[in-house]
Amino acid sequence: MNEINTIEILRDVRDSLRCSSIQLSQWKLMKSAKWSIEALHGMEDTPLASGDISEEHMADASSSSSPSKMLFNDPRVRKIPQLNDGFTQDEFDKYLLASSLFDCKEFDRCAYFLENVTEPRLKFLQLYCKYLSWDKKTVESVENILVTGKVKNGNNINDNIDMIENGDSEQNAEMNGFTDFTNTQSKQKNGVQYMEDGHQSSVALLLKELRDYLNANESNFLNSKDTELGVALLYYLKGVLLNQNGNKPQALTAFINSLSLYSYNWTCWIELLDCVSRLDESLLILKHLNEQFELSQQNNIGTQQIGSQNVMLKFFKLSLFQEFSGNIDEFLENLELLLTVTPNFAFLKAQNALVYYNHMDYANSENIFDQIIKIDPYRLEDLDIYSNILYVMQKQSKLAYLAQFVSQIDRFRPETCSIIANYYSARQEHEKSIMYFRRALILNKKSTSAWTLMGHEFVELKNSHAAVECYRRAVDINNRDFRAWYGLGQAYEVLDMHMYSLYYFQKACALKPLDRRMWQATAECYSKLKHSGGAIKCYQRALQLSANPDQESLLFYRLAQQYEEAGEMDNCKHYMTKCMELERTNEGLVTDEAIKAKLWLANDAFQNKKYEEAYNLAIGITNGTSQEVEEARTIARNCRMLLK
Amino acid sequence: MRNGMSPGRTPSQHNSTLAISPFITNRYSRTVAPAQQQQQQQQQTQIQQTKHKRPQTADKDNDNQQNSSATYSRMDNFQAIVSSPLGLKTRDAPVAQPSLATPYHQTKRNNEDESIKINKNGSMFGLAIPSTVRKVSIQETDYRNNSNVTKTNIDDVMDNRNDTTNDKLTTTLTTTTTAATTTDIDVSELTSVERLRLWRHDSLMQHMYDTAEYIGNKIYTITKDPNDAFWLAQVYYYKGAYKRVIDLLSMDDLDTTSIMCQYLITLCLFNLTKYDDALDIIGETNPFATTTATATDADDDMSMIQDLQNDGGIKIESSLCFLRGKIYSAQNNFTRAKECFKEAVLVDVKNFEAFQQLTNKNLLTPKEEWDLLDCLDFSELGDNETMIKQLYTICCSNYINKERLTEARKILCEEYSLGQNVDVIRGKIELCFTSCKYNECLDYCEKYLSHDELNTKILPTYISCLQELGASNKLFLVSHNLAERIPKEPITWYAVATYYMTLKKIIEARKFYSKCLIMDPFFAPAWLGFVHTFAAEGEQDQALAAYSTAARFFPGNHLPNMFLGMQYMSLNNYALAEEYFTLAYDICSQDPLLLNEMGVLYFKKDEFEKSKKYLNRAMEQVSDLNPTAKTAISIQLNLVHTYRKLGDYERAIKCFKYVLDDSEKDGDIYLTLGFLYLKVKQLEKAISFLHKALALKPKNTAAQELLLHALELNVVLAIDDDHPLVVSSKIQDEIDRTEMWNSDDLLTKTHLEPTNVKKRPSIPFLDSKNLSKRSRKNQPTAEEDDAMDLE
Repeated sequence: MNEINTIEILRDVRDSLRCSSIQLSQWKLMKSAKWSIEALHGMEDTPLASGDISEEHMADASSSSSPSKMLFNDPRVRKIPQLNDGFTQDEFDKYLLASSLFDCKEFDRCAYFLENVTEPRLKFLQLYCKYLSWDKKTVESVENILVTGKVKNGNNINDNIDMIENGDSEQNAEMNGFTDFTNTQSKQKNGVQYMEDGHQSSVALLLKELRDYLNANESNFLNSKDTELGVALLYYLKGVLLNQNGNKPQALTAFINSLSLYSYNWTCWIELLDCVSRLDESLLILKHLNEQFELSQQNNIGTQQIGSQNVMLKFFKLSLFQEFSGNIDEFLENLELLLTVTPNFAFLKAQNALVYYNHMDYANSENIFDQIIKIDPYRLEDLDIYSNILYVMQKQSKLAYLAQFVSQIDRFRPETCSIIANYYSARQEHEKSIMYFRRALILNKKSTSAWTLMGHEFVELKNSHAAVECYRRAVDINNRDFRAWYGLGQAYEVLDMHMYSLYYFQKACALKPLDRRMWQATAECYSKLKHSGGAIKCYQRALQLSANPDQESLLFYRLAQQYEEAGEMDNCKHYMTKCMELERTNEGLVTDEAIKAKLWLANDAFQNKKYEEAYNLAIGITNGTSQEVEEARTIARNCRMLLK
Repeated sequence: MRNGMSPGRTPSQHNSTLAISPFITNRYSRTVAPAQQQQQQQQQTQIQQTKHKRPQTADKDNDNQQNSSATYSRMDNFQAIVSSPLGLKTRDAPVAQPSLATPYHQTKRNNEDESIKINKNGSMFGLAIPSTVRKVSIQETDYRNNSNVTKTNIDDVMDNRNDTTNDKLTTTLTTTTTAATTTDIDVSELTSVERLRLWRHDSLMQHMYDTAEYIGNKIYTITKDPNDAFWLAQVYYYKGAYKRVIDLLSMDDLDTTSIMCQYLITLCLFNLTKYDDALDIIGETNPFATTTATATDADDDMSMIQDLQNDGGIKIESSLCFLRGKIYSAQNNFTRAKECFKEAVLVDVKNFEAFQQLTNKNLLTPKEEWDLLDCLDFSELGDNETMIKQLYTICCSNYINKERLTEARKILCEEYSLGQNVDVIRGKIELCFTSCKYNECLDYCEKYLSHDELNTKILPTYISCLQELGASNKLFLVSHNLAERIPKEPITWYAVATYYMTLKKIIEARKFYSKCLIMDPFFAPAWLGFVHTFAAEGEQDQALAAYSTAARFFPGNHLPNMFLGMQYMSLNNYALAEEYFTLAYDICSQDPLLLNEMGVLYFKKDEFEKSKKYLNRAMEQVSDLNPTAKTAISIQLNLVHTYRKLGDYERAIKCFKYVLDDSEKDGDIYLTLGFLYLKVKQLEKAISFLHKALALKPKNTAAQELLLHALELNVVLAIDDDHPLVVSSKIQDEIDRTEMWNSDDLLTKTHLEPTNVKKRPSIPFLDSKNLSKRSRKNQPTAEEDDAMDLE
């Protein structure tokens, strides 16, 4: 029973992936289409599936002994979607025109010829073109600033727009109000692209058009099942626009709507992930997907209509874990399952490697990346992570080889640039490294890791302000990037702005509440701000999260210090003692903190007139800085004198 | 054939002239239009009746004027002369009246004593003048005398005709009634003077003024007829020789005897900008106003007045009032001008120009416009009543009575198929513009302008629209186009100035605005633009002075007053600002911009309740606007600030959410939002919004200070169960325990042996999680109020 079901599921997944690849490339969602077909390719020679199908159909399809020879006209294979499905002749011709123009990247023309279409899929294409055109123009205006070397961008453009807008003073004059509170009450229109012939485009305008269209045709969509693909695409676009506008909750809703109509759209899942910015939200979305997520009948084949069987949902959970972590056992189970479905899918392997990377198991991660390169040598995605691993492991020669290799494949890919940047960084050529990161960012301005790494490079160059800007960018793009938050905190710490750095450490800490380092950094900030209450709590939390909480001499010492600050001498003493006692368990391996603790305890005992104890402690201090040793000797001398 | 001189249907000599002659086309359409059938019948009847009376009058006529007799028997064919305004009006020009007589009054007198009147007429022009004028008046008199006689239908007419079959006159009549336009006049039958007149008229119609002048001069020398003098003056007028018109007409004292001549002379004086002289001639007030009032005494008088008005053209009284209004407005006496225009349109609703002056030149406030419209009597227009009324309606201000406007537009589109007419489209365009739907507005404008590129009614809105959209490139093209094609129109230079304004080249913009204003000092958009150039350069005093001038020039426009108020507000002179806002508010209480400004004013004066009231009203006004429009957003923002001041932080935040849904990102919005969250003690959100604000505007000191404050608070925030750090830890624990994998999964690994999955990695770091779980209380996730919006 289960066996048959498994076969069925595999067949449905196969069909779904095939269909989606065709449909998505028809509607120009190239990344999704690529993902689908790669996944299909990855499952091609699943031994179990092929064997079973041939077995099952041996009787009636004896001619096709192997499924690879099965022809598409075989009735068991689902019908392949045709380009002209559901079109009138006129619409189809229009589509062909638009499609060609799109392929030539003439977005404005494409949108122009699709003006006034009513078919949802064509409408999607029109609005999508408008969006792409807007995006292109915006990127171009930002690029100039990036190229000229100013990291901070956006302001110049905005200023220009201000100028334009202040021109229409008749309308603008009314905005003079409230100037006392807000210095300049000017525009709302950052990001509006003026065509100067009266046409302007902005995300808000596109969104309005899309909303109007969806509202106007809502009833039609409900009644007819044929439009589901179109509506799914439109919802997807709506989500993208809303996300662009910073309206994440609504974008999330739109993506979920889209996915329930058409689940085999990987970029849509990725965008959905992008809308989740906090841990509790990830929990909620998981709950929702498990319990309420309904998949439509039309575009999801067979078993893929059932949420628990939908492969895409499983892939999404995988990615969700990568971002937010969670129950590692569940995750690995999930991963194994998917690996049985698509064993040769490079994406999945890369996910596997990423898990190891995120948990700092670099060796295993490296192994998997080596495998991936073997299967799919020219795949550049995720290789920047690989270079990070090589960088951290200090495998310079391998990194150099990788950099050479990828630059042979394609020099103008953001991944390539990042890898080369890592290479230069490893060679301590930070300026060159920064240049390559900048290139990577021109090619893909949404790459958080590049921003963050560039920030690190600036830190190396002791340019904290530039580093701050980079980290800022990174968190603007993806506010779940704890590394960037942490980097921000560190940079501000260097600048002695502890109040700021505390906030950023808190952010990082909130994202990685199980990471000891985050808590420790936060605690240190608290202590620098002389807020011992917070520091104590954070140190204690760090201690709890520590792998071997009995070995943290530094934490003990810091805790003790903070208790001293807070005036809780008992606790202070307790931790100082603990810190000192570590020396014993460590079999004589003395840490700096232990010495300091011992010194403190000696001092304390001396002050409390326990001269003997103080003496014993003080003579125990044999190594450490000369100052400490000197102090210990003084105590010992004094004690001796007093004891006599 | 003199009895055929009904003003209705005398044909012209040429079909070509027929097509272009303003006189003829008027009448022609009346005879042809089926809707006018009834009227035509009535006229026919009257003519028949006139004919019956014919013998006596004709006799008297002949008695009085020896030399006229049969020479002018075919005179009636001269449409131009018969319907000449002079011809019609000189009859009414009385000698008995002390200064200027109303035509109505005169008819009354005619009624009383026909023979006296004739004598008077005779004496007036002297026996030597066998003018058509007199004949016209005789005919008209008869016609009026009998107008009260029972109406006969067409059958009666036929009967009558049959009765007088052998009468020569009847045959002519038949031809004129049945084939008014096709009758070819036998030119050879005309007298020499008649032929000259025909010549003159024809050349005038064909704009060959030299010919017309040449011939007219000859005729006048021959006949010495005042009528011919009038026509000669008319020719001069067309040629633009205003001085000569005046000289010619004042020579024979025509200006004191004929209203038409007076009108023409005044017009000339006006064109020569001799306003005082012009006023001397037509008087400072309407001399007919009182007589019209007294004329209502008797019913029959009334009916006669009605008849007189029914000649289809614009009443001369109305035209005179209009002219007076124009003179006043040229003298910057806008109150008087407004009254005169109003009077003109009230006297004769057909005087559209007066109505246009009132509505377009901002002489009336929106409310006054609508009141005036309601006062107008369209009943005399017959079947055109509804159509014209709706057409006038859509000229009115669209700040109020929007539903009436829509209704009028609907009627015009559906019943009169005027949907593509310029005025209907203009109404639509202006509505779009005032509702800030600029893209839509632009589409309409371009659609219309594609086949009428130089329409001066559409262009101003189009240009403002382009300005709103920042389409400097298109403005460049449009202004060049205009400058090449109509360099003498103010609109051209307005376009050029607007182009410079979008480029922020203030100096150039001002230059061209003033050029435009020299051409037309009453061009409101240019005025405002001109003043804005001062305001943009921060030259407060000049701006104030110019705004006050504009306020005086456009008493019906609230904008100058509003801008004055705004200027004073920016100078922190709230008392004066309030005064000016109140003035503007009296003119137009519906404009969201004004309401917004008043809200701001009260905000600044710390009267927040009042401020809230006005801003809420402004919101009502913009409720049907495009929510992304700047106006709507700025009102929302101001409202937020008011709520903030009133301490209603929750509401303010809610309001903000609404704004942020639609608007683009703005540093100030985020700043205020951060401030509000700080107030409601949501530190994390406050800090993140302040960061956003600073990201957009790094130099904003207010944001920096607030952020510092927030961060200080953040430091002292106790780490208890509500602290975000603690909360997130708990959530993480929760996630660790969440089942990601459903139990009923069929793809279990029992069937699919993992082949190439490596052994589960042992991750030392994660091992600590058990410990942390133990140390933390198991509490359900604290859900944030707005964290998710599923479904």
